[in-house]
Amino acid sequence: QDYSFRFQSSDPAGNPNFEFQQGWTETLKEMSDGNVVVELLPVGSIVDYKETQDAVGAGIIDGHITDTSYFAGKDPAFGLIANPVGAWSDPSEMIDFVENGGGAELMNELLNPYGLEFIGVSTPGLEAFVSKVPLDGVADLEGLKVRNPEGLIANVFRAAGAAPVNLPASEVYTSLDKGVIDAADYSVFSVNQEVGMNEVATHPVYPGFHSLPLIEVSMNKAKWDALPEDVQDMFKASVKEFQQTQINALKERDLAAIEEAKAKGDVTIHDWPAEERAKFRGIARGEWEKVASQSEMAQKVYDSLNAYLESKGLIK
Amino acid sequence: MSAVLDFAAIGIGPLTLWMFGLMVALLLTGMPLAFVTLLVALVFAVLGYGTMAVPIITSRIYTFVESFVFVSVPMFVLMAALLDRSGIARDLFDAMKLIGGRLRGGVAVQTIFVAVVLAAMSGIIGGEIVLLGMIALPQMLRQGYDRKLAIGVVCAGGSLGTMVPPSIVLIIYGLTANVSIGDLFTAAFIPGFMLAMFYVVYILVLSYSRPNIAPPPDPVPMPGAEKIKLLKGLILPLLVVFFVLGSIYAGIASVTEASAVGVGGVLLSTVLRGEFSLKMLRDSAMQTLATVGMIVWIGIGATALVGVYNLMGGIRFISELMTGISDNPTVIVLVMMAILFVLGAFLDWVGIALLTMPIFVPIIKTLGLDPVWFGVLFAMNMQVSFLSPPFGPAAFYLKSVAPPDISLGEIFRSLLPFIALQVLAVGLLIAFPGITGR
Amino acid sequence: MSELAKRVAPEAGRLGRIIDKGGYVFAAGIVLAAGILLLEVFLRYVFNSPTLWAHETTTFLCGLAFLYGGLFCVARNSHIRVVLIYDAIGPRARRWLNVAISILSLIASGFFAFASWIMVSKAFWTPTGDFRMETSGSAWNPPTPALVKGFLLLMLIAMALQFLILAFNYLRAPADRASETDV
Ligand code: NA
Ligand code: NA
Repeated sequence: QDYSFRFQSSDPAGNPNFEFQQGWTETLKEMSDGNVVVELLPVGSIVDYKETQDAVGAGIIDGHITDTSYFAGKDPAFGLIANPVGAWSDPSEMIDFVENGGGAELMNELLNPYGLEFIGVSTPGLEAFVSKVPLDGVADLEGLKVRNPEGLIANVFRAAGAAPVNLPASEVYTSLDKGVIDAADYSVFSVNQEVGMNEVATHPVYPGFHSLPLIEVSMNKAKWDALPEDVQDMFKASVKEFQQTQINALKERDLAAIEEAKAKGDVTIHDWPAEERAKFRGIARGEWEKVASQSEMAQKVYDSLNAYLESKGLIK
Repeated sequence: MSAVLDFAAIGIGPLTLWMFGLMVALLLTGMPLAFVTLLVALVFAVLGYGTMAVPIITSRIYTFVESFVFVSVPMFVLMAALLDRSGIARDLFDAMKLIGGRLRGGVAVQTIFVAVVLAAMSGIIGGEIVLLGMIALPQMLRQGYDRKLAIGVVCAGGSLGTMVPPSIVLIIYGLTANVSIGDLFTAAFIPGFMLAMFYVVYILVLSYSRPNIAPPPDPVPMPGAEKIKLLKGLILPLLVVFFVLGSIYAGIASVTEASAVGVGGVLLSTVLRGEFSLKMLRDSAMQTLATVGMIVWIGIGATALVGVYNLMGGIRFISELMTGISDNPTVIVLVMMAILFVLGAFLDWVGIALLTMPIFVPIIKTLGLDPVWFGVLFAMNMQVSFLSPPFGPAAFYLKSVAPPDISLGEIFRSLLPFIALQVLAVGLLIAFPGITGR
Repeated sequence: MSELAKRVAPEAGRLGRIIDKGGYVFAAGIVLAAGILLLEVFLRYVFNSPTLWAHETTTFLCGLAFLYGGLFCVARNSHIRVVLIYDAIGPRARRWLNVAISILSLIASGFFAFASWIMVSKAFWTPTGDFRMETSGSAWNPPTPALVKGFLLLMLIAMALQFLILAFNYLRAPADRASETDV
């Protein structure tokens, strides 16, 4: 083998997302006849998920596959581009924005100064919202104690009248179980179902109205620049294949998990009507503007997002 | 400075041996444990990857100290320091003697029950051992219990926090293996209680079979008024326990927050008893700082070592160990247990989970074994790792608060029978998976 | 109680005494953290209005106390160690062992201080050199990551200095003095 790299994922080892990411390393190996080998390490192996950007930039690890919003603390623009809450109603829209609507160029403009090169995008899809109480619209969010991870999302929930509680992922399950919180922004339906979130919070909202994360595959820029063009092309092509596999397979798994949940009968799945989703989107957009004013790059992301959404007729 | 040695050429196997060798050698010099592991991590990072790899260590230190779940450690320690300075702890144990006094070893048995109650209040270990080490250990010694038994009861009982739900070990396992955390908690309940019962049986057998292990029961019947006075000592501690457990199980506080509810409860108790003073609070807080400084820096050293070891290819090494050993599922599980025992001697459980779970869990699933049962087995195995030398966190936590004349060597010697009981529990879980109720 | 009876090690010098006094600030931080958590539980359960800041503030205060606690134990010489051989050897050999341990720890702290400087520079400045403190990225978004990383750097520098002073004083002190402060 001519090239070997070490990437760290932001997902734990047995999580389906991690399995798809490992599938990507297999695809890349096959495409290159075994010449490009990526060793993928699970979350926290070498550094914490919030520290991988620094580690990739410094060349300690070669690359990462991660939710870009984890770096919102470095520049709010990361939070806005990774999860413009309410902007997307289908993975294909977000991916088209990144691949054809200027998103990839923005990602590189953001990442290059930190010593990273953006290779490609994926997403687990539209997440399902975990809730103990029935939620059928924005009005039901009033006073809802909801756990949010970092990024724009908590601000949006606050603006929508909810009471965001800041808890780490490891405390979500017990807090939901005992009722410390009413709801949580956690993961896609199938993962929520598998780790038992829907057992303790039996009113999931699917499809979610809140989150469609941008998962970036990126690597150390100097190492990327040193690669011959054909290897770079293989990286990009294999990430594209991974993206399609992940989106399609997770969608299937979600549907299967929904059937399973329905068959069990103890879970009530809620689906918001279009006007309620639009209402939430409207609140979210107000928060985008606030974020846009926080940094030069965030403004750029905001302008670019709006231009794209307008050109596609997704906003008026 | 760039890499000095070619780690790929040396191979991860020999490097692992070198790493352990250096660690043991440095430990024996009397260098503080926290700095031994930090120094070993540093040496291997620099030799294999150059100075540019050192930020891995500082980055892991930062992450470790900024983790919300560890907030409960200083809370438990503060609770312990306050209980110790007030008369509550002494009254509690005198009252316990009243209930368990008819039984040889009764107070030690009750300490295990206290430990189980504490375990139901906390998801991590550290805090409870410190608490029991400050409260139960001196009281048992005062009442004439055998030192080794008292030490073992505190360390083994105090480790139950990750076996009895809620448990961070089971949560992390559930998130890693993608299995239901609720199922894990349910499945761990009986095995956790079983382990506690092993300790109880061991205490009783030892107390009745050998002299001088536990104080003999008091033959003189106590006057009723005296009894009631003693029983009053139970009221406030029981109220604190009630509020903490109640706040968790009624959904008022998260597990970490509940530890602060405990601090509040104990503080209030000292006020009600008229024992509160600013000096007491200040001294307790200072002791908390000194104790968590020791505990946390041991954890910092361990996390640094794991980061560097993963960089060296630790996960690949475990995977190599597992390839082609056997087709027999029992043999495979036993090999996994052996690997966990060996790693448990040198690493902390977070590191062990990081190293082994990516390899073990897919194998378990492929073999058609129940990943929930395996999760409970893993948690049981980590009980062993808390006690086993040379890296036995439970021993270090106790050492941080034990009277100075109790050495680490004595603590580890005291733990051997308890380790045997834990290994027995692991064996039973493998032989009879039905214990998990699945 | 054993821990309070133990004061700062004589070999730690004036710096050690300053570190010991400074402990009050961070010990108070732990008590404050407990109070904040209680307040959060109260506000959330009774008034259904959880704060945005309680958990992050608590973690921040405890993080500072954890880091300072390490330095505090260096100054008190109370970090846990295995004294199997250390206790068996004579006072002369033990004195040299103390010197060697202090110097090795000094080197390690020095390396880590250097490495954390790299981390701190990324947390306080953008890649283009503009000053900006790394924030947590939460809804409250405080600059705690930058502050804790900066504090870690300070602690490592102080630790290196403390080990330097310890090495120097062990080297200077008569052999019997060196054995008085062991765990
Ligand atoms: Na527990
Ligand atoms: Na161990």
